[in-house]
Amino acid sequence: MSLGFTLVYSISRLPNFAHGALYVTSGYLVWLILNKIGLPYPVSIVLGIGLTGLIGAMIYRFALIRIRGMEISEIIATYAIGLAIIEGLRWGGLRGSTYSLPPFMEGSFLISGINVDYQRIIILITGIAVFILLYLFTRYTKIGLALKGIAQDERAAMMLGIDSDFTAIISLAIGSGLAGFAAVFLMPLGNIVVETGYSVLIFSIAVSIIGGLGSWTGVILASFIIGFAQILTEVFISSHYQMVVALLAIILTLLIKPSGIFGKQKELEDRV
Amino acid sequence: MLEAVNLMVFYENMLALNNITINCSKGKITGVFGSNSAGKSTLMHTLSGIMLDIKKKEEMIGGEKISIFGEIIYEGNEISMLKPHERARAGIVLCPERRRIFPESTVLENLKIGSYLTTKKEKEQNLDYVFNIFPHLKAHANRQGGFLSGGEQQMLAIGRALMANPKLLMLDEPLLGLSPLYQKIVVNAVKEIKETRGLTIVITEQYARPVIPIIDYGYIIENGSSVLEGTGDQLMDNPDVKSAYFGV
Repeated sequence: MSLGFTLVYSISRLPNFAHGALYVTSGYLVWLILNKIGLPYPVSIVLGIGLTGLIGAMIYRFALIRIRGMEISEIIATYAIGLAIIEGLRWGGLRGSTYSLPPFMEGSFLISGINVDYQRIIILITGIAVFILLYLFTRYTKIGLALKGIAQDERAAMMLGIDSDFTAIISLAIGSGLAGFAAVFLMPLGNIVVETGYSVLIFSIAVSIIGGLGSWTGVILASFIIGFAQILTEVFISSHYQMVVALLAIILTLLIKPSGIFGKQKELEDRV
Repeated sequence: MLEAVNLMVFYENMLALNNITINCSKGKITGVFGSNSAGKSTLMHTLSGIMLDIKKKEEMIGGEKISIFGEIIYEGNEISMLKPHERARAGIVLCPERRRIFPESTVLENLKIGSYLTTKKEKEQNLDYVFNIFPHLKAHANRQGGFLSGGEQQMLAIGRALMANPKLLMLDEPLLGLSPLYQKIVVNAVKEIKETRGLTIVITEQYARPVIPIIDYGYIIENGSSVLEGTGDQLMDNPDVKSAYFGV
């Protein structure tokens, strides 16, 4: 799920702080389509992810396009949009534990004594698949390459005929779509709660900072580190401290190696 | 092919380009010479449309107010309001000052990004063409752009611009910081590009000497104004130019 955040950031240099909100939104959208409109589950998943991508694109088209290039304003604007979405959903009635998505496959099996349900296996496999697809996308497709060009030197890419607004819309749409994708796969593990929007955001930022903004290898490594750290705290201390671990990790990284494990940006402190 | 009429560019109240009129004829190499801060890069940015982007960004952050006046006529159309990528689509491609290659991408990937506007078949042809002109790049095709030497980076920047299938290729200070050997390679390559592809080329440089043999027509600008123009020989023979730009 942080992949979306890093992707958007590394491509458009747009920190999309509405990421967590989009995550919740897409879960809710799928639920709506599934239960209120009554379309089959796979269709509602595709629609939900597509709509979330569209929302991301619209956020850029109608709001961010005006403040492109001013990082502080971008952070404030996306954060505000995220807050508005989350609180709007809460106000709109997304409360309590009545909302949940069914898992793709019921049941579980045992691996050396530990219960693993199929949903988690599916998550792992699709996660790897998405990563491979993204890798191929940025390497072998025209738009993917254009995104890479824009990320490295916007004006030089413009001189080659690449439209920076178009690529930013695409990258936001893909990033939001990924948030939606993550939501659809992760949410069957629990309920759809608006508060996850905040924790997803914090988790995404933590992973991005620890791994180094814009570095994909770093992101994967960092998400494993934080994930295990959180599980350990849950087992040995208490589950209340999970969020503290993520925040603590941010502070430690900024103190010891501000550019993150694989970070390239030296001025990361200024950026976040 | 491209005609800029009475171009004026202001940064706030500072006049960066003062009433410049230049004409680049089809299939010819036009040289623009001038010292630092004479306005060469401003001219290139204005012709390629990057100035509009700079202007927009400055407006957003409340920075310098940039005003652009004058006409740019390209193949009979007035293009001064077109965005940079639209001009690139029309065939105007700028190979920017200080190369600005994509440092994290490999040589091959840099070239592929350059071919954004072209079809797959054109891409293959252009790739062959670029590797043919700059065999050096082929040898380093999988090396990261940032690890290349200055001269190799310059070749890559020109190659990348060629991948976009330009009709009008603008080279902003392509010899900047290159050794005499690489200067020679680049200058010869530019000449070859003109001859084999019939491209119209605009080239800016501080020192006219290495470039002047290949240009068809040249302008000398000082403090944003065009002070002299003529063919390569005419410029060479002018005593003022000789002392100022050839170091004779």
